[in-house]
Amino acid sequence: MAVNEQAEKVSPLREIMETREIELNLGPQHPATHGVYRALVRLDGERVLGMESVIGYLHRGIEKWAEYRTWQQATPIFDRLDYVGAVLNCHGYVGAVEKLLNVEVPKRAQYIRVILDELQRIASHLVWLGTHGLDIGAQSVLFYAIREREAIMDLFEAMLGQRLLPNAYPIGGVRFDFPKGWVEVCRQFLEIFPKRIDEYEGLLTGNRIWRQRTIGVGVISAKDAIALSLSGPTLRGSGVNFDVRKAIPYSSYEDFDFEIPLGQNGDVFDRYLCRVREMRQSVRIIKQALDGMPEGELRGKVGKIIRPPAGEAYYTIEAAKGQLGFYIVSDGSDKPFRVHVKSPSFVNLQGIETMCKGNLIADVVAVIGSLDIVLGEVDR
Amino acid sequence: MDFATIMQYAGWPLIKIVILLIPVFTVVAYMVWFERRLLAFFQSRLGPNRVGPLGLIQPIADGLKLFLKEDLVPMNSRPFLFKIAPIFAFFPAFVGFAIVSWALPWVTPSGKVHPFVVADVDLGILFVLALSSLSIFGIILAGWSSGSKYPLFGSLRSASQMLAYEVPMTLSVVAVVLLAGSFRLSDIVAAQEKLGWYYLFPGILAFGVYLVSAVAESNRVPFDLPEGESEIIGFHTEYSGMRFAWYFVGEYANVTLISVLGTTMFLGGYDIPFVNDAALYAAHPELTSVLGVCAFAAKAALFAVFFIWIRATWPRYRYDQLLKIGWIVLLPIALANLVLVALLKLWLLR
Repeated sequence: MAVNEQAEKVSPLREIMETREIELNLGPQHPATHGVYRALVRLDGERVLGMESVIGYLHRGIEKWAEYRTWQQATPIFDRLDYVGAVLNCHGYVGAVEKLLNVEVPKRAQYIRVILDELQRIASHLVWLGTHGLDIGAQSVLFYAIREREAIMDLFEAMLGQRLLPNAYPIGGVRFDFPKGWVEVCRQFLEIFPKRIDEYEGLLTGNRIWRQRTIGVGVISAKDAIALSLSGPTLRGSGVNFDVRKAIPYSSYEDFDFEIPLGQNGDVFDRYLCRVREMRQSVRIIKQALDGMPEGELRGKVGKIIRPPAGEAYYTIEAAKGQLGFYIVSDGSDKPFRVHVKSPSFVNLQGIETMCKGNLIADVVAVIGSLDIVLGEVDR
Repeated sequence: MDFATIMQYAGWPLIKIVILLIPVFTVVAYMVWFERRLLAFFQSRLGPNRVGPLGLIQPIADGLKLFLKEDLVPMNSRPFLFKIAPIFAFFPAFVGFAIVSWALPWVTPSGKVHPFVVADVDLGILFVLALSSLSIFGIILAGWSSGSKYPLFGSLRSASQMLAYEVPMTLSVVAVVLLAGSFRLSDIVAAQEKLGWYYLFPGILAFGVYLVSAVAESNRVPFDLPEGESEIIGFHTEYSGMRFAWYFVGEYANVTLISVLGTTMFLGGYDIPFVNDAALYAAHPELTSVLGVCAFAAKAALFAVFFIWIRATWPRYRYDQLLKIGWIVLLPIALANLVLVALLKLWLLR
C-alpha cells in the first residue's frame, strides 16, 4: 500500500487518471450464485480485494413455523431446507425427535434409511457437479449429471411417491418397504452409475482447462477450515478427516465398510475430487446395505400422538453438504418448543471470504460452486 | 460514363452483394439452429424441434420474437453510443464476406469472365484482418456506454483479449501469405492447387495458431470471456430486442467468416479434393464451379462442427490464462512457424 501511495504522489497523471476500487454486487440475481445469494465484492480490476456475504433473501421462517405444527406435521417442512437433499434433512429432524423420545428404530428401517440417504447424497452431488461445471463453463456435464439424477428421482417416486421433497421418514422408522422390483432397478442403477462417474471424470478431472481453473484456487488451510467450523466435503478437501458417519455413527453406519475421501490442498479441485469420490463410496454403501438387508419391523413403537418428555436433544448427521444438526427442545406438549437447525451450507458459506481474497472474479464463481451451497438451507 | 462502366463499377457489385447476402444471412441464421441441435445431441437432449420440421423454422421464430421486443435503453447509458455499438458488431463480419472467392470464375459464352467474388481485393486477407479488429469496437462501446458494471468488465476483458490473440493470428496468416506469395484469396487457393498440398500440411503450426485465435476472435468457448455468462453475464447485458440480436448475428457471422477464411487459407478453399480441378474446369466449367462451392461449404462446415464440439466439451479459461496463452504460447509458436515456413519456402517449395 505504501508503494502505491508513493507512486500516486509522484505521478503527474494522478489527476486525470485516477484509479479506484469498484464495488460489485454479485447477486442476488446472478446466474452463478445458486439461488438468491448476494456477495458484495470489492474489486481492483478483476482482482478481489474483499467480499461480504449478504444473505436472507430466502428466509422463510422454517424454524419458527415448525413451532406451530405438531411433531409429525413439522417433518415435511424440513424437506424444504436443502431442497436438493430433502431426504437427509428429514432424517436429521426425525432422528432428533427419536432421540428425545428414546425410540429404538428397527434395524431394517435403519438400513432402508441408509440406502435412501446415500441415494439422496448422490443426487445432491450430481446437482452440484452439473452446476459447478456450468459455472466454470463446461455445460455438457450438467445434462449428463441430471440424466443420472433423474434415475434416482424415479427410484424415489416409486418408493416414496414423490420426487424432490418426498417427506421420506415418519418418526420411528420408515413408512413403506421396497415396492416390487425396486431393488432390482436400484441394483441396475448401481451397476451403471460408476461408469457414468468415469464419464464425468473423463470430461473434467484430466481436462487441462478444468485443472487450471480449479487447482490452487480458493485455497483454505485445514487450520482455517476447522476454525471456521466448516464441515463435509468442504472441510475434507483441506485434508481434515471428519465425517459424522464415521465419527459419530448413526443409523447403523458402523456396519458398512467405506472410505472417507480426503483432499490435500483445500482448493476447488480437491473439493471437487472429494465429492466425486464420495459418490463412488455411496454406491459401495448402498450395495452393502442391499446385500445385508435384515428382516423385521419398519417402525418402532411410536404412538399416534407424539408428546416427547420435556427436555432437549441434539442429533447430527452427515448431509450432502456437511454436518447437519438438529437441536430440538420439548416442553412436553405435542408441538416443538424450539427447533434449531445447524445447516452446513450456512456454516460453509463463512469460508468464502478467506477463499476468495486475492483471487479473480472468475474464481469467485468457481469457489461458490465448490462450496455447494443451497440458499434454502442458508437462510432457512 | 456509359452504361457498361456503370454496370462494371456499381451494377454488378450490387447484384453480387445481394446474391451473396441472402445465402450468408440464411447460413448465419441456420448456424444458430445447427449449433443448438448439434449441441443438444452432444448433451443427450433433442434441441429445438417443435417449430416446423426438425425445428427448421426456429431461427425465423427467434428473429421475429426479438424483432417484436421492446428496445430498452438504460437510464445511465450514453444513448448515442449505446445505440450505434451493435452496428460495429455485425457490420465488419458481413463486409468481410465481400472478398471471399467462392469458386472458379464463370466464363460467359461471349467470353466475359465473372469471378465468384464481390471484390477481389489485392490485399484481401489484410482487409479482413483490419475489419475484424474493428468489430471489437462494438463490444468496447457496448460496455462503456451501458452505464453498468458487468458490461464494463466484459468490454475490458475483450479489449485485453484482442491484443492477446490478434497478433498470433496475424502472424499465422502471414505464414500463409508467405507460402502463397499473395494476399489475394483466389491466388492463395490457386497456389495450393498448384502445390498439390493444402497449406494445412506445410503450415500445420500456423493452422493450430489460427484455430485457437479464431476461437478467441469469435468469443466462443473456451475463450468466451467477454460473455462469460456465469461470471459477468456479458458485454450485452443491457441490450434487448433487435440490438441484442445484432450482437448475436454478428457473432455467428464472425464464426462463419472465420470458418470460410480458414478453409480458404488452410483447406484449399473451393478446390475439390482428389480431383484435378484444372482438367475438370476445362471440360465442364459450370459443373466445377458448382462442385467447388459445395466443397467449400463442406470444408467450412467442418470448422463449424469443430467450434460446436469444443463448446460441448471444454470449460472456460480464465482471463489471465487466455492472455498467458496468447503471449507466451501462441506468439512464440507463430513466430517460430514463420521462420520455419520461410526456410521451407526458400529450399523446398520454390
